[in-house]
Amino acid sequence: MDDAKLIEAAKSGDKKAFGQLVKQYEQMVYSFSFKICRDKQKADEVLQETFINAYRGLKSFSGNSKFSTWLYRIVTNNCLMMHRKKSHEPVVSLEETDLFKGTEELQVAHWGETPHDAVLNKELKDVLDAAIQKLPVDYRIVFVMRDVEGFSTEEVGKSLKLSVPAVKSRLHRARLFLRNELNEYFTK
Amino acid sequence: MKLVDHKKYLLEICEKVDRDLTSPTCRKLREHLSQCPDCAAYYDSLKKTIVLYRDYDVEMKGSRVKEILAQLDLEEPLHITLPAKHPDLHGDKKRTR
Repeated sequence: MDDAKLIEAAKSGDKKAFGQLVKQYEQMVYSFSFKICRDKQKADEVLQETFINAYRGLKSFSGNSKFSTWLYRIVTNNCLMMHRKKSHEPVVSLEETDLFKGTEELQVAHWGETPHDAVLNKELKDVLDAAIQKLPVDYRIVFVMRDVEGFSTEEVGKSLKLSVPAVKSRLHRARLFLRNELNEYFTK
Repeated sequence: MKLVDHKKYLLEICEKVDRDLTSPTCRKLREHLSQCPDCAAYYDSLKKTIVLYRDYDVEMKGSRVKEILAQLDLEEPLHITLPAKHPDLHGDKKRTR
């Protein structure tokens, strides 16, 4: 059964149909949640919250966007809410930060070969997690949606209720910030 | 390298790092990258940053369908086959006191 039929069936109370939708999208939701929270337990909580919210709000799903896009929006909201509830992260605005400021000379060393997917080791994963966790969550979401999940700038803007220039600005700053954070690891 | 001389390019690199630099709009940047090893290294490191995050994925350790449906009180009822005329169900259980 395709998504549209499953959604219609779930809207009319077909429990199996909703279960089928959960089954189809749970890995996508979990993976996206993890990429934002960088914590497996939190990702699991967000996963469950997301489908509960999705079920409760299913009647409001008009079908104008893809079901997956609608789910991404719920995940994003849940991640933001969880972050605000649990995090004591100081509010840092990268908008006010010039990432090149204070450096007359820019040392650019070659990173050499980076390991591929299959061999991403624990140490490197920890470095990647630590770097992205330093990034304010609003920027993290833009980076993950645009560069990791492959949404267009317009889609990210629509989903986060941001203008296209605002998305671009956050994306650029997130990219530069992460690159600078990883630089030390790859050039030590 | 002197940052001030290259800042314009570094910002452009950041903006265009996910694009195909063979397009005509990227001509100037492409030319600069071919002549400037520092900017080329910067471009390469920025590109690798994105690829590393893209490659880093996690798998779930098992489905959460049951837990989610249970939380929504949607758990499928257990299919227990009872005897056709079970006394507890039909109210004809003889009280023996």
